Amino acid sequence: MVRMTGLMTAAIALTLALGAPIAADAKDYLLGSQLPLSGNLARVGQGMSEGIAVAVDLANRQYAGKHSFKVTTIDDETSPAKGVAAVEKLIAQGAVALTGGYGSNIIGPASEAAQKAGVVYITSGGVTPDLTGRSYKTFFRINNTEGYAKAMIGLLGDMQVKKVSVVYLNKEATSNLAKQVQADLSAKGVTVGMHEFDGATSDFKPLLNKVKLQDRPDAIAMVGYENDYVGVLRAAKVLKPDVKAVVGVWSLATAQMAKEFPDLMENVFGTSMLPYPVEFTQPEAIEFSKSYSRLFNKEPDYLGQFGYVQTKLLIEAVLRADEAGTLDKGGLADELRKTDAQTLIGRVTFDEKGDNPNFSHRMGQHQQGKVVLVWPRDAANGAMNFPARPW
Amino acid sequence: MLSLTLQALFSGVLAGGYYAMVAVGLALVFGTMRIINLAHGELVLLAAYVAYAAESQYGLNPVMAIPFALVIVGASAALVYALLSRIDQDREINSLILTFGLGIILTNAVLMIWAADIHSTTAPWFQESVVVADTLFAMRSEVVFFVGGLVLMAGVHGWLNHSWQGRAVRALSSNRNAAKLMGVNPRRTEILSFLVAALLATFAGIAIYTGKTIFPSLGHVMTVKAFIITVLAGMGSIPGVLIGAVMIGCIESLTVTYVSASLQELAGMILFLVVLFVMPSGLFGGRKAIAR
Repeated sequence: MVRMTGLMTAAIALTLALGAPIAADAKDYLLGSQLPLSGNLARVGQGMSEGIAVAVDLANRQYAGKHSFKVTTIDDETSPAKGVAAVEKLIAQGAVALTGGYGSNIIGPASEAAQKAGVVYITSGGVTPDLTGRSYKTFFRINNTEGYAKAMIGLLGDMQVKKVSVVYLNKEATSNLAKQVQADLSAKGVTVGMHEFDGATSDFKPLLNKVKLQDRPDAIAMVGYENDYVGVLRAAKVLKPDVKAVVGVWSLATAQMAKEFPDLMENVFGTSMLPYPVEFTQPEAIEFSKSYSRLFNKEPDYLGQFGYVQTKLLIEAVLRADEAGTLDKGGLADELRKTDAQTLIGRVTFDEKGDNPNFSHRMGQHQQGKVVLVWPRDAANGAMNFPARPW
Repeated sequence: MLSLTLQALFSGVLAGGYYAMVAVGLALVFGTMRIINLAHGELVLLAAYVAYAAESQYGLNPVMAIPFALVIVGASAALVYALLSRIDQDREINSLILTFGLGIILTNAVLMIWAADIHSTTAPWFQESVVVADTLFAMRSEVVFFVGGLVLMAGVHGWLNHSWQGRAVRALSSNRNAAKLMGVNPRRTEILSFLVAALLATFAGIAIYTGKTIFPSLGHVMTVKAFIITVLAGMGSIPGVLIGAVMIGCIESLTVTYVSASLQELAGMILFLVVLFVMPSGLFGGRKAIAR
């Protein structure tokens, strides 16, 4: 018994002796994440949360023994009111900063709650200009409408189309992007027909029939979400308008769509940072891909990539602010504003409004079950099929 | 102009067929029990997901999944009925709360089992074009399930009017106490109406899976649409449901064609409110409207 007590005392003493210096420097950081994990935006919310988890996992490996990071996620159920409640709860739980948010109408009030509490909120889930137009000190965003519009306009410019029909969802972010595309195309002398639809629309044939019989465009540009794209493409497949290309934006040129709707996707263009199958060459990207596959047993997609980048930048800024002793004094926003990093989505810096002026997306095309990057030319890993319809 | 109008009407009629298949089940249960089953859309969704699981995991054609979906949806409907039948007080309001809660549970169960990704059949046969007179366009699934839905609804209508059990459903709807005195077993009749509603929900779910996209929050959307159509038709009127559904489908489709696709839901609601303003009991309404 005495021997046992002695051994235990020695073990405790040894542990304290070895652990003391580490414990003195090591810090645990709690990050908060408010995301739609149920409701209409559940899929995209889940995608972003996976990217956030990868960033935290890699940070914990990188700083093992020195710092540890934990993320607490609250489901906002795709509801603005619950988004605000989630942010307030996360801040009350001691989150040093918030990463997440999907849907401009949810991010708006949620980030306002964070601003009132003086807590940094970083996102890639809301691209409307109104979010950064508020010039909140604590709000940051790594992507924006301009970057998506640049990619779509660039591709349509390369195609030299003269008439485009823009079919867009009447949500804030999609409307803003569609109107920016319209303005940019019109400025280049392209005739643009605008067709707004509601989220409840499931039969697009009457709308596509107008496009076919009245607009007679060279290309159809879709701005919406996955179920909208499927509806539009199915209607187009039935009506067969005489177009040269069908172009979309987010959630379209993805592995998920290639696997789920192979008969609809062939030759369709959409924004995509990554080709499919994913080809990573940079060490950081390979590490990201490995961690993602290990955690989720699948290949990463663009949602995970954006979630990863925003959280990685946030973690780096948290460490810098803590090192400077300003983390508890509102210094995190200043540190984040100093960011100038090459990331998986390109260069990221933040302007005075918290927006990333460098953001420009890439365009991919579904080709025989793969997604080939076709724009810009310096990022392309294949040639575009043009003219080419999905049917 | 004529081509646009004809296509709009054609699409509207086919959309109305989808709406009617979902709404008839809701109307049947309401007619029998005076209960609005707010989990009905989720039962439709469940059928659609069973078809998805059968196709993605076992390579079954969605139509071949109907028996499996029917068993699962029928069992779920029976469970909903078992819980509803335990309500003793304030049946109408408590049943609304209960079925609304069950709808949320079903939606989240679907979300947990199948995740939030959108799905639809991968069988290209259902998406092939059907072209009538080089002017009217539809997907094969829309036409097949519209015709199938009509046959099924006619069958339900015939069953209600010409079979003993159907007459028992109508008798219960008309006067519960008198029906009991005439030897109608209310519990057996009520569960029968739930099972027939489950059959309709199964067929509607398979139709939606083959012609549209499915995702977990779709069930609630379908319940709301079915409820609007049921009230528009006149609570409990099954032929009225078909006509009301086609009216809603056509007004939405014409709004998309001539005004804006953004306003299609609003146009449907305006039609709904105008009809209720002029005919407060709905198009074919009345307290005892079932199967008229």
